[in-house]
Amino acid sequence: MLEILKKTMPFQVVSDTMLRRIAELGKRVAYDKAAIIYDAGDSAGDIYIILSGKVEHTLEPGVNARRPVQLLGAGDVFGWAALLEKFPHRLAKAVAIEPAEIVRINGDDLLRLLESDPDSGDVVMSRFATMITRDYTVPDLIAQMRAIHRKLHSSDIQGMNLTMYRLSLWLKSPRPYLMLIGFGLFLSFWYLAVEVWKLPRFREMPGLTVVIKEWLNPDPSYGLSIYTAEYYQHILVSIWRVTQAFVLASLLGVPLGLFLGWSRKFKEYVFPVFETLRPIPILAWVPLAIVMFISTESAVIYLTFLASFFATALNTMLGVESIDESYVRAAYCLGAKRHQVFRHIIIPGALPFIFTGLQISIGVSWFSLVAAEMVSGQYGLGYVINTSYTMVRYPTIVIGMITLGFVGYVTSAMVRILGDYLMQWRVRELALGGQ
Amino acid sequence: MSAIMQQAVPAGTAARGAIRIEDVVKIYDPGGAAVMAVDHCSLDIKAGEICMIVGPSGCGKTTLLNAIAGFHDITSGRILLDGELLCGADKPKAEPGSDRIVVFQNGALFPWKTNLDNVAFGPIMQGKLRPAEAKEKALSMMADAGLSGVEHNYPGEISSGMRRRVEIVRALMNDPKVLLLDEPYRALDSLTKSVMHEALLEIYYKNKVTIFFITHDLEEAIFLGHKVAIMTTRPCKPKKILEVDIPHPRDYSVLTSRRFRELIEETNEAVHEEALKAFAAGEKEG
Ligand SMILES: Nc1ncnc2c1ncn2[C@@H]1O[C@H](COP(=O)(O)OP(=O)(O)OP(=O)(O)O)[C@@H](O)[C@H]1O
Ligand SMILES: [Mg+2]
Repeated sequence: MLEILKKTMPFQVVSDTMLRRIAELGKRVAYDKAAIIYDAGDSAGDIYIILSGKVEHTLEPGVNARRPVQLLGAGDVFGWAALLEKFPHRLAKAVAIEPAEIVRINGDDLLRLLESDPDSGDVVMSRFATMITRDYTVPDLIAQMRAIHRKLHSSDIQGMNLTMYRLSLWLKSPRPYLMLIGFGLFLSFWYLAVEVWKLPRFREMPGLTVVIKEWLNPDPSYGLSIYTAEYYQHILVSIWRVTQAFVLASLLGVPLGLFLGWSRKFKEYVFPVFETLRPIPILAWVPLAIVMFISTESAVIYLTFLASFFATALNTMLGVESIDESYVRAAYCLGAKRHQVFRHIIIPGALPFIFTGLQISIGVSWFSLVAAEMVSGQYGLGYVINTSYTMVRYPTIVIGMITLGFVGYVTSAMVRILGDYLMQWRVRELALGGQ
Repeated sequence: MSAIMQQAVPAGTAARGAIRIEDVVKIYDPGGAAVMAVDHCSLDIKAGEICMIVGPSGCGKTTLLNAIAGFHDITSGRILLDGELLCGADKPKAEPGSDRIVVFQNGALFPWKTNLDNVAFGPIMQGKLRPAEAKEKALSMMADAGLSGVEHNYPGEISSGMRRRVEIVRALMNDPKVLLLDEPYRALDSLTKSVMHEALLEIYYKNKVTIFFITHDLEEAIFLGHKVAIMTTRPCKPKKILEVDIPHPRDYSVLTSRRFRELIEETNEAVHEEALKAFAAGEKEG
């Protein structure tokens, strides 16, 4: 039976495992010569695949087929009305003109099975449609097949749903467990190297248990733990600075990048300056920043802003340049004017790159923030790390570092969620592609 | 407003969309490498005709299409649409416009817009219809083309054969005089392709636009075209123009007819000869 199924038009391209499951749905039935298998107007439940024998298939005149009568033999598939969207009843009469052995598969069962693998399901259905219009010469309008419902119906994926969906996929994959193992290995090495083996160089480091004890201590020996208000004040100050710098960098960087990519003239003026300033390290800007801004607060924000701004603008520009020329041409063909092309093609087309840029940008803003806070400032996680060093509070340094890593990760995840939200089309493509 | 517009340009009447290509030359990078892509090419396409362009890879077919569409300038010669100058001596580059719509080699539905928004894009941009009206028209045109059910999906979510159909419907929304198709079915498997051919013919019989269709595939060319222009290897100009005398409307039974086979045999040699030349030229360059 598998052999025959594999040769039929609708199932030709289905994987072997799927084919086996389809075959399991089938019931073999034998028909005598001249037996009427079904008649026009009967309700349509099963599809039929001929294993041996001959069947005459006569479509109703109302169907308007170019060739209403067909002689079917081994490997032919009929009874496809069971899979049609608009016609629940038989459109033809099928008669065995020789003793025939036939496999019957219930249409609903088949559909349900195909839903477990919607991609091959779509192929099977489109093959059915082709077969109906081509071999049975039935007009397109009738050959509308029932839809394969995806478990994840694309219109369900919206906004936050999508993030939840991704999360659930992630939890089902082995990745979170590998991640936990990774963390476990790292922490045990830390613990063993410092506190058990006391390896050279590691001996002086604050150990894992020391740090955790200090971190969770209601009465911390060096004055900073999750029970002290000061801890949260440092975190909030840092977040607030990063937010200001990040928003500013995005508001200026995205438009600059869009214009750099969009107008060749503009790029010729601006890009050389941009490329000269971009590689200058943040620390080199510190003296000028202090001279430029009277308040240290603005100087810190300025320093935090700089690298983010460059990253955002550069990625946005690359995003515009990555847009396929055909989209722009197609838009002009369809009568769009230049400003409409900018609004409807350039901005959405560059969005994936813009969000890559923004994720890099939030990362580097934390990076520069710490550098800036170490040099000047009175609060913030960078300040905590720096003062703890000068005051020999080693466990507090590590607390500051871990907190930074964690907060940095959360902010970058938030940027990503925002990106998912704004780029439904992209995420739906990825989701349906099973990634 | 929309009703008046539709009446003013009744669909189904041809007599518009005649293209005249006169002595067109296109040289890329004239100061430097000077690649001659099109060489004194002349071709007359009647209004409402399906003209198929067949030629070896890299011969300059897309270049010719781009010149008609107005994506780049021509070096000399001129191109007329219904007697009006698109590009010529004083105006080397045609204005792209919604009277000549291109369906691209790799497809150019905007992936960030739903299929419906893609189809409705043209009239909205041109300010011909209000967005709600445009969407309504798009819905009914998509339903006519058997595309109900995918309106609110994004192009990335539907099969490539369907994407092609959506793209053609997007073009037809603007009631163009000419459809310029650049190997639209190259990436499709042969089964889907055969379905697409019949779908295209069906659309054509309803709309009677002029079709300028580039392909590598001689069978496709003779099956669809009124006229098949076989191009020489680069620089491109017509080597042989075949008038296909199989009557329209056609369907798949044409493929097995004797006349069809005869026409294939008649032209195969010319195509093969050019392909060999292109190959030899490639050997020399490479
Ligand atoms: N912008 C350009 N600058 C220089 N040479 C070009 C340019 N565009 C195309 N060419 C050259 O012109 C020739 C014709 O290109 P064209 O794209 O028109 O060929 P084609 O017939 O459409 O080929 P294919 O069948 O591969 O699509 C090619 O040799 C190509 O390398
Ligand atoms: Mg080409």
